[in-house]
Parts: sequence; structure tokens; C-alpha cells
Amino acid sequence: MTDTAVHPHAARPDGTKPPGRQGRGVTQGAGSGSPLLRLFGRRLLMTIPLLLAISVLVFVLLEMMPGDPARNQAGMDASEEQVEAVRQRMGLDRPAPERYFGWLFGLFRGDLGQSSVSGQPVADMIADRAPVTLELVVLAFVVSLGIAIPVALMAARKPGGLFDRATMVVAMTMLAVPNFVLAMLLVLVFAITLQMLPAIGFVPLEDGLVPNLRSVAMPVLALAVPLAAFYTRFLRGDLVEQMNSADYVDTARSKGVRPGLVLWLHAFRNSSFGLLTIVGLNIGTLVGGTVIIEQIFAMPGMGMMMLEGAMSQDVAVVQMCVFIFAAVAVLANLVVDLMYAVLDPRIRYGSH
Amino acid sequence: MSTTMTITPEPATSDGIGDKPVLRVRDLQVTFTRAGKRIRAAKGVSFNVRPGKMLAIIGESGSGKSVTVRALMGLLPPSAKVAGSADLDGQELVGLSDRKMRLVRGQEISMVFQDPARSLNPTMSVGAQIVESVRTHRTVGRKEAAERAIELLKLVRLPAPEKRFHQYPHQLSGGMRQRVMIAIALASDPKVLIADEATTALDVTTQAQIMELLVDLRERLGTAVIMISHDLGLAASYADEVLVMYAGQVVEQAETSELFANVRMPYTRALLEAIPQVSRPSHSALTVIGGHPPDPSQRIEGCPFRPRCVRATETCVTAPALLEHDAGHWYACWHPVTGDPREETES
Repeated sequence: MTDTAVHPHAARPDGTKPPGRQGRGVTQGAGSGSPLLRLFGRRLLMTIPLLLAISVLVFVLLEMMPGDPARNQAGMDASEEQVEAVRQRMGLDRPAPERYFGWLFGLFRGDLGQSSVSGQPVADMIADRAPVTLELVVLAFVVSLGIAIPVALMAARKPGGLFDRATMVVAMTMLAVPNFVLAMLLVLVFAITLQMLPAIGFVPLEDGLVPNLRSVAMPVLALAVPLAAFYTRFLRGDLVEQMNSADYVDTARSKGVRPGLVLWLHAFRNSSFGLLTIVGLNIGTLVGGTVIIEQIFAMPGMGMMMLEGAMSQDVAVVQMCVFIFAAVAVLANLVVDLMYAVLDPRIRYGSH
Repeated sequence: MSTTMTITPEPATSDGIGDKPVLRVRDLQVTFTRAGKRIRAAKGVSFNVRPGKMLAIIGESGSGKSVTVRALMGLLPPSAKVAGSADLDGQELVGLSDRKMRLVRGQEISMVFQDPARSLNPTMSVGAQIVESVRTHRTVGRKEAAERAIELLKLVRLPAPEKRFHQYPHQLSGGMRQRVMIAIALASDPKVLIADEATTALDVTTQAQIMELLVDLRERLGTAVIMISHDLGLAASYADEVLVMYAGQVVEQAETSELFANVRMPYTRALLEAIPQVSRPSHSALTVIGGHPPDPSQRIEGCPFRPRCVRATETCVTAPALLEHDAGHWYACWHPVTGDPREETES
């Protein structure tokens, strides 16, 4: 996706050791001007061709989708003439490049097209649906990191200890369970057996915080638990490696700093960059995960909107949803790159 | 266990009237268990360090020199078993609980590591790292600790200390980073400062500057310095006393001038010969010590250097004890070298 390789820790998720882990750092903007601003500008510029490429890809993929939207719209019993009339009304008789550029320029004007099923403007539909998905994704990240960080820190205090081993067993189990299976189990336990939470449906925030949170609790958990397991495993491993082999950890110990503080102030600070990389890379996966989870819990979010659109061959809707999902993944990685710059002094200050 | 381990030398007391050692190490043993094998990394190491003096511990990689000082610092992994005694100004360090050891570390005894590019935390400013060291052992306010940090940076002669205080390690040169490390180590006026290959990663000019700094600080602050190195030349130039280790044992020990004037142990001589000499004809092959140091998991019969030693005989199957053969000069060898090694090589 985006160029996350800008950071020395970026190559870490696959377990390989990047060269110069704490060496010279990254030489950014070795000229005049603030290195941070230059970095920001360059990254932002790079996303433009990327987003354009994605929009072409999405368009081509939908062109290749089997079935005829016009026939679908006109109905099974419609005559050829009727289908042709619908095709003209939908503008599908124009050549593909013309339709692509029409769509693209519409995008710049803020016109995202209309649903061919309901005739509703796609922009209005997204305004309705996006907040639901956004809430799920944000809460899933907050919950997963809220679990992973303290658990990994505790596990790394005594590698091989009882807590550490128990944590790893649980994490492995959770990683092995797909989130839709987890969703079913959650429904079984919390909605059916304990009757604590509503099984399906979304209550908007306007109807009260508690009902809202109760309605999203299970979908958020279904998304967050596998992520938490993944983050815990990664962070715990990285922390243990830092504690065992990083020289600055030895320095901190030789100062007489308490082990808990060495872990928190020294090892975790450095491990957090690797974690950040992983979180950034996960955003795309997580947004994809909402498509399934929203379906299971009947959450009226973007994922459900896209699926409904796909079922009814609502090209304008599907096209916009896929494009937004891709754009979110790209922008999320951009934000991660910029967060490095803010958090890591080696990038923030350049080399001199 | 051979007799070597039970010998406790009291080295170099001839000139040291009233110079009570600040650190007395006796029969220090470090054993690791790895994959079911017992690895004896230090086998009965003994030495004294006196205030304001510099002791150099010399040896190849794996000779046990780093393990020995890490044992003193309590920085070995939990799998390491440490036995023997290390008396730091009346306090026994061996067997000290983690909690009590933490109070000693950085306060009474501190350490500077090999690679200053890695031993500082890349995410913390220089000042924050020194302040942390100051505040770990003293309850002082942030402002006071910062003042102390600037003072320490001046002590290690880092130019523009107020500016450096706010900078990050990657913005400093290798030599400057090592000065910062020394400042961190000196934060609580330790009695003993350990420099573990502290100049190995630096270029020669910087190396000399850092060594001069250590020598100067040793005199000014009265700190005892233990310098770990594989470089005999460095020890000859800066140390007051030299201790040569091989396969986890002390094999030769004397004051610097005595040791280099009269090298006795063939291993020490071999190390000296391995130093490239300008006087030798150009493009002549460098002298190397043949063979490899012994595998620490294997039990060694007799003198550990025997397989690589040109002077070895049948006698060497029995381990030689570390004895004070000449006044203040200890070595463990049945067939000590006599005369100037250089002369013998040139002939």
C-alpha cells in the first residue's frame, strides 16, 4: 500500500530484523526546511496517484461483474426495448471511459451519483451509514489496544511465567477463531443464554449513550478480540526481544531503574513503533471485517450498504463503498507514517 | 576443581600503603546452564580495584571478562549462577537480592557499554536519560536534576551542554554519545566505573579522547575504573594494572609497567605479538594465535592454553596455579617466557 518502509521498524511484522534498528535512524529532509513538513508534503502527494489508480481498478472490476444492471433494474419480464430504455436512462449505453470520467468529475463536484435501486443520492446514504462503521472500527481499535498493551506488558515482565504462558494460549486460540464464529458465540452467550445484550440491531447515539454502546458491544468485541490477540502476541514478543537484547535496556538496568519502569519507559517506547506499523496495516483488514460483522448483527453501516448494493447490482453504491474502503486504508497508512514522524525523534529532527 | 581456583592473590600492594581496595573480588565463579550443558564462564576470578586507579581486564571474546563484570553489576540473565565473593566497600555483592542490587547499580557501581549508538535510548532526549539516572537514586526535583545533568555533561567535557541536553542520541557523534554514557554512569558518584569495551566502537582519535577522559575522571573523582578490552595496547597506555584472562581464568596479573616489561605468560606474549607493528616489514603476514579458545562447555584438563601454546610440555597437563612468582607479578604457567618477546620474534 503506502510507503510505510520509511520507518526503520516498518519491516518488523514478518519478524525480520530491519537493519540499523537503532543506528543512524532515517535521514529525512537532509536539506533546508522542516523535515516533518517535507515528509508530510511528500506523503500527501503520493496518495493522489494512488487513489486515482484505485478508482480505475474499482471501476474496471465492477465493469467485469457478471450480470446486466439494466436488465436487473428493468425486471425479469421486461422486453428488450424496455431494458434498452432503462440502459439509456442509467447512462450505461455510453462508453466505459466516458462513464468513468463522468463519475470521477462528479466526485470532485461532490456528486457521488444515485442509487439505481432507490434513486437516493449515494452521498446521503453514506452520510447515514458511515458513522455506524466508523464507530465500530474506532471502538474495535480502542478495545483491542486497551486489552493488548496492558496484557503484553504484564506477560513480558516474566517471559515463560504462568501469566505469559496462559496469555499466549488464549491469544493463539483467539487468533484461530474467525470473527464470524466468534460473533455467533457471543450472540449465543450474551444474547440468548444470559440475555444481557440485544442480539441484533443498532441504536444511534442520539437515543442515548448506554443503549448505543449496548447495541455495538458484541460487534465491537467480535472485531476486537482477534485483533487484541494478534497485537498481544506481537507486542509481547517485541518487548521480550527488547528486554533481552537491546543495549539501552542494559543501560537502563545499569542505572538501577526498576524492571517495571525499564519495560514501560524504555522497551515499550521502542516497541510502540512496531505496534503502530501493524495497527496501520490492519486498518484495511478491519474495515473489510465490518462487512461480515455488520451483516451478522444487522448494523446499518457501510459494509451492509455495500453488500446490499452488490446483491441488487447497484453499481453506483458498490463503486463508492469500495472506493471509500480503499481510500480509508490508504489514508490510515498516511496517518501512521505521520505519527512516526511525530513520535520518533529520529524522523522528527532529521539527522542533524 | 583444580587448585587454581582456591588461590587468592593480593596483588600489587607494594606501593599501596593505606590504599584500601574499594572492590575485592575473590574466587568469582559464573556458571550458565544452556541446553543441559554447564558452561563455566568464569572460574575463580580474583582481583582488587583501588580508588582512583584503573584496572584493565584483557582477553579474547569468550574469555569471561564481560561475564565477570556483568556478574558484579547483577546484569546476567537469571539462568546464570554466581558464586564467590565481591566486596564493594564492605558490602557483599554476590547473592544480593535483586532489590538491593538495584540500589547498588548506578549508585555504587556503574557501567559504560561498548556501542554508544545502541546503548542510549533512541526515543529519549539526552537530558531525559541523564535525569533518569540522577533521579533513580536521589529524590530531587526535575529542575535540580536537570542542573545536575548539565553539570555532568560539563564534567565529561561535552561541548555546548545546554544545547545537547535537549538533543536526541542520533543527533550526536559516537564520541559525544559515549561522553553522555559516561555522564549517565557518573550521575551518582559511583565508587567503581566499569567501561566494557567502551572505546571499541569508536575511531582511534575519539578512542584516545575517551580514554584520556576516563583517566582524568579517575584522578579527579577518585573513582576506581575497570576497563574491559581485547586491546593490550590500550591497557598499556592507560591502565595502572593489567589482568589477563583466558578461558574464564586469570592467567597473568601485574602493574602495567611490570607486566609489559616482563611478560611471563605465553598467552600474553602471543597477544602482544598479534598487535601489528609499524617496524615490521610492510606486507608481512600478521601474527595470529593459532587454534581457538577452548569450548567453555568442555572440561579442561591442565592449563587451558596448552593446546595453542608453543611452550607446552607434559607438565602442562597439570593445571598451573596463579602464583606471585615475582613481587607483584602473578601468573599461572609452568614455562614462563623470559626476556623481551620482541627480540625473540625478530630473530
